[in-house]
Amino acid sequence: MTMRRILRLARAVRGRTVLSFALIAAPAVGLHAQSNLSTQGFGYPVGQQSARSLGAGGALSEIDPLSPVNPASLALIGSRMLYFQIEPEYRTVTTAAGTERTTTARYPNVFGALPIGSNFVVSLGASTLLDRTATTSFNSTQFLSGHDSVPMTTTFHIDGAMDDVRLAGAWAPVSWLRVGLGVHAITGHNLINLSQKFADSVTFAAFTQSRVLGFSGSALSAGVQFVSQAWLASVSARKGGSLSLNAEDTVVSRARVPDRFGGSIAYTGIAGSAISVRADRDSWSALGNLGSPGLIGVDAWDTSIGADIAGPRFGQQSLYLRGGFRDRTLPFEAANQIVREKSFSGGLGAAFANAHILADLAVVHANRTAVNVPATEHAWTISIGLSVRP
Amino acid sequence: MLKKVVKLLTAVAAVVSIAACSEKLEAGKSCPLLCPTQAVTLLDTTIDAVVVDTTVLGLPPIGTETYLMLASHGDTLETRAIVRFDTLPQTYTKSGTDSTIVSIDSATLVTPIVKPDSAHRPTSPVTIEVYDVDTAATDTVSSILGSLFRPDRFLGSKTFAPESLLDTLRIPISTDSVLDRVKNGKRLRVGYRLRSTPGYDIRIGTTQNGQAVSLRIKASKDTTATPVVVTPLSNTPTDQPFIAGPLADYTIVLKGLTTTPPTLLSVGGVPSRRAFLHFNVPSHIVDSTTIVRASLLLTQVPNRRVDQRDSVYVFPLAVLAAPVVTDIASALQFLGGNGQFGLDSVRMAPSDSGLRSFEIAGLVRTWRSQPLTVSPRSIALRSGAEAQLPAQFDFFSTKGPAGLRPRLRITYVPQTSYGLP
Repeated sequence: MTMRRILRLARAVRGRTVLSFALIAAPAVGLHAQSNLSTQGFGYPVGQQSARSLGAGGALSEIDPLSPVNPASLALIGSRMLYFQIEPEYRTVTTAAGTERTTTARYPNVFGALPIGSNFVVSLGASTLLDRTATTSFNSTQFLSGHDSVPMTTTFHIDGAMDDVRLAGAWAPVSWLRVGLGVHAITGHNLINLSQKFADSVTFAAFTQSRVLGFSGSALSAGVQFVSQAWLASVSARKGGSLSLNAEDTVVSRARVPDRFGGSIAYTGIAGSAISVRADRDSWSALGNLGSPGLIGVDAWDTSIGADIAGPRFGQQSLYLRGGFRDRTLPFEAANQIVREKSFSGGLGAAFANAHILADLAVVHANRTAVNVPATEHAWTISIGLSVRP
Repeated sequence: MLKKVVKLLTAVAAVVSIAACSEKLEAGKSCPLLCPTQAVTLLDTTIDAVVVDTTVLGLPPIGTETYLMLASHGDTLETRAIVRFDTLPQTYTKSGTDSTIVSIDSATLVTPIVKPDSAHRPTSPVTIEVYDVDTAATDTVSSILGSLFRPDRFLGSKTFAPESLLDTLRIPISTDSVLDRVKNGKRLRVGYRLRSTPGYDIRIGTTQNGQAVSLRIKASKDTTATPVVVTPLSNTPTDQPFIAGPLADYTIVLKGLTTTPPTLLSVGGVPSRRAFLHFNVPSHIVDSTTIVRASLLLTQVPNRRVDQRDSVYVFPLAVLAAPVVTDIASALQFLGGNGQFGLDSVRMAPSDSGLRSFEIAGLVRTWRSQPLTVSPRSIALRSGAEAQLPAQFDFFSTKGPAGLRPRLRITYVPQTSYGLP
């Protein structure tokens, strides 16, 4: 099943990504309802967070080399590394019409890094920027001419995501300073499958239409980190370039890749531990022109606080305990209202095989609401990250 | 301890990975509240899309009927069924040995029929007479063959009570006549006549559907003698085997031939006929939209001539002949099968009237972006009992009164930029 999804993803991304590496840098390939609060517009911002960072509420993403946020953090990587992340989400949406539970499988982050010399690291990775995968099915009655009408069932199945493929480098010229630069290719696709079935299947013929919307854009990012014995300050920004939405060989619309800036400050005075506060601002409104005229992107803050604490030691290895809280605004309105997400998270991390394998586990519980919208959404997300140091 | 933690994490990873593969796809209860996209709007239009329509009589061609129509309705309709046995065996098998036929104990025409249901059983006994219709004259002309149904050519008959009309009728015929043909190597051609008051019709199986009449000859009273079973065979016209083959059994009409005026389109009837309709649908609909309904709307005109209350299916069929076949009668012999392209039949009685809707969306969809040479924009209408029952269905043609002419109602999904949030 998983392999089938990866192959499907590979087919979809083929020709749109210059780097085959990105083929397994899976955006979400699961399915869930679009009839929810979080997957509006071009989709849900998975967050470009590693499992480690997610366990700490996202507060570590500026200083976590496995999270493709601040390229300067790559300088922390001391050896060759490959990283892969699995992240299913179990979502419950409740409205007056009832409760629906859906499951989304995501593979939001894949990454590789290679140190060059003693203080320079390059990496190539792909992550999901906006996951739009969804299936929505609803019944309605179409009134035709005169007294003619037909009950029908419409199903929208949308498969795919907007992805971020990043080539980045980090340099640590001195022990208290790290700087990094990243070049981003915004790619991916949305495969839209529209089907309609009619109650009167003798008179009316069911149909299915398919359309592939592809994304093509670019961006640059930069980051810097200042390191002291007990504190780590980090800031980063992404400057979006042009972004186009294509259907086959036709440019449907143009917009800009959203700008982003953020920063965090972390206390690292406890050995092997970090307690961090982070704030991040995404200019999602830049995507407004990419969709239909009514689409409104919301410039959003993403704030979090969390800790990654070295816990009990077992032999030479420590078990890391993590926890955090996150509050953010989602990029697209639902029913013309801003959607907020608050989440609590916890996690574990450990190293195995003489630290050749690092495993991180995070569990996130999120509540999503929109003012004056009679709908609530709860989600459990389980994120597993595996790092391998060959 | 660390090993336990490792095992625990591995188990959690495995469970989560497996669970991640188990997806639940469908949702939609929160629509329309949270659904950014609603149902696609359907547009509906009715157009005068039929540019050519006509009725062609005499289809299917003689000899290709799937059943022979043996009808007796007095002056309204009178048909005969002809069966040819152009080769008769001169030997039979007795106790495993071939012997020459020198006498005949019995000769029976084993006649498969369509068993009438309770609503179509005759109300009184019916009689089937059999005549020798062999002639040296042009042997498919109704007037010539009709004149051969006279007493001096009488071969046999049998009267059947209504409840005895099952799936096979056994009619004894003159053994002397059969023996004469056998001994002299002559052919035997028989003609069926139905006598019934009130009028009635019977459908007899043919070589076309594999249930043909057979002649069963018993050449000896000896129980060890194997009866000889002869199946229909036609050897004339001698220089046209393509035509001779189907003429093993066929129907002729002596009374009741009708025509169809230009203001009508007809299917079924006597002689059997098919309707042809050619369409011109705007390309902005056919090529640029998704058609979900295409209804050919015809106004039925009552026909109360024969079997006016008997319901029969009328089928719309795709015309498969390319436009290079300009003869419509020829084109109407190259048709798709019943139900092909999703074309649905309509059940109706000849005396019905009003609007009839034939659903042809499946065929119209195939016209998309296809040249006429690949996908002719034509259909035929054919009775489900053509050449078997006399039921005839009439509809107003494009030359009929305005407002009652054929129209095409199309419901379609216009080209939209769906998928954009």
